[in-house]
Amino acid sequence: MLVVLAVPLLALVLSTPPGDLVAGLRHPLALSALRLSLLTTTTSLALTLLLGTPLAWWMARHPGPAERVAATIVQLPIVVPPAVSGLALLLAFGRRGLLGPALEQAGWALPFTTAAVVLAELFVAAPFYIQSAAATFRRLDEDLLWAARSLGAGPARRFFRVVLPLSRPGIVTGAALSWARALGEFGATLMFAGNLQGRTQTLPLAIYSALETDLRPAKALSILLVAVALAVLGILGRGTVLEAVRARA
Amino acid sequence: MLELDLEVVRDGFALEVQLSLGPGPTALVGPNGAGKSTLLRAILGAVPVRRGRIVLDGHVLLDTDRGISVPTEERRVAWVPQEYALFPHLTVQENVAFGVPGPAGHARADALIGQLGLEALRSRRPGALSGGERQKVALARALATEPRALLLDEPLAALDADTREATRTLLAESLHRLAIPSMVVTHEMRDVLALQGSVVLLEGGRVRSTGTLDLFRAAPPSEFARSLVTRAIGSV
Repeated sequence: MLVVLAVPLLALVLSTPPGDLVAGLRHPLALSALRLSLLTTTTSLALTLLLGTPLAWWMARHPGPAERVAATIVQLPIVVPPAVSGLALLLAFGRRGLLGPALEQAGWALPFTTAAVVLAELFVAAPFYIQSAAATFRRLDEDLLWAARSLGAGPARRFFRVVLPLSRPGIVTGAALSWARALGEFGATLMFAGNLQGRTQTLPLAIYSALETDLRPAKALSILLVAVALAVLGILGRGTVLEAVRARA
Repeated sequence: MLELDLEVVRDGFALEVQLSLGPGPTALVGPNGAGKSTLLRAILGAVPVRRGRIVLDGHVLLDTDRGISVPTEERRVAWVPQEYALFPHLTVQENVAFGVPGPAGHARADALIGQLGLEALRSRRPGALSGGERQKVALARALATEPRALLLDEPLAALDADTREATRTLLAESLHRLAIPSMVVTHEMRDVLALQGSVVLLEGGRVRSTGTLDLFRAAPPSEFARSLVTRAIGSV
């Protein structure tokens, strides 16, 4: 089994001499994809933190039927195939989609734009963060929050001085997982945002495109993504990804 | 003066309490499950009260008939739970100053740190403190906010026997000096004796008796009270 898992990655590394790696990374296709991926994943991560943290906090603090519905909605993008996510995004935000006409009237045409890449990444990756953050928030010692209240701390002070610092490991783990998922996002982006160099062509899409022309950037970018994945595993620490989420929560 | 008239129903347990506490310490005793911690949490605002009133020094903190419920953060009721609930990520100094942001507050926090002999520990985190030290930090943190009332839930229970002896005296002295209503939940007659205040006996969610320490000792109002008093005599 280990051979099956290791050989493909080993083949990738062995077939790419250092010269090819450098040349591949300098390729215009690679550079623009790298730039776009950094831009979109940073934006989607920022949006995930900004919008996902309040949701995770609400889910952790209000267990009940509404929270269970929210938890299911949050989990679905994790298990739904990316192609389905892409189609769903098109049907929601596409020109003829559910919200498309309204968006178009407001002057926003999402599909096949960089914003669509961000939205696709947000859709598939935010759930990883929300789940991890909610699990962390649930484990907070309730007495610490009551102690903070008894000391006169209002909601904002409690959140920023007590909740966030104590939840940092779970938040970092969730953010790292979410960012890695966004960086590797392929199917939903391809369907919803297309594959336009400099506009919607992220790293995985560039690898896919390069296969047809020049294999060097494809290999170089693949090695880069493997290195990033290793770095994320480093952040999560020893053990499995799932264990890390649970342990940090 | 802390005036209470409360009815709390929680997980099938009913607590009904009418009490009036003057300045100084009051020992709150009673068997396990009598509702002592619940009473403290109700005063704090951490447990929903079905019906009742809480008035502290003329300020109405709760009046269910009039729809008044002052949020916990504005009640000026300090609370020290059993395990102290110190913020593990903050130093001793930061813990004590938590409720009093600003230079004036920090000066008060520093003064309390000095009074309780915590200077050498000011940059340590709670994880690096002994039980007795943690108790002092929790007390200093509670006092820094200049509360109008103080609620201590078994403040000595987590300490080893030697530390408990030393801390007991310090705690009793501090509470007498403060001259605000303070309620101390305890299972130990020694604590009750050291506090030298009034004694409230809570049984089955109701106040069984309330009165002076001498009266409590001379005529224990229940079987539990008798065993508490006898145990103390036996251990001396």
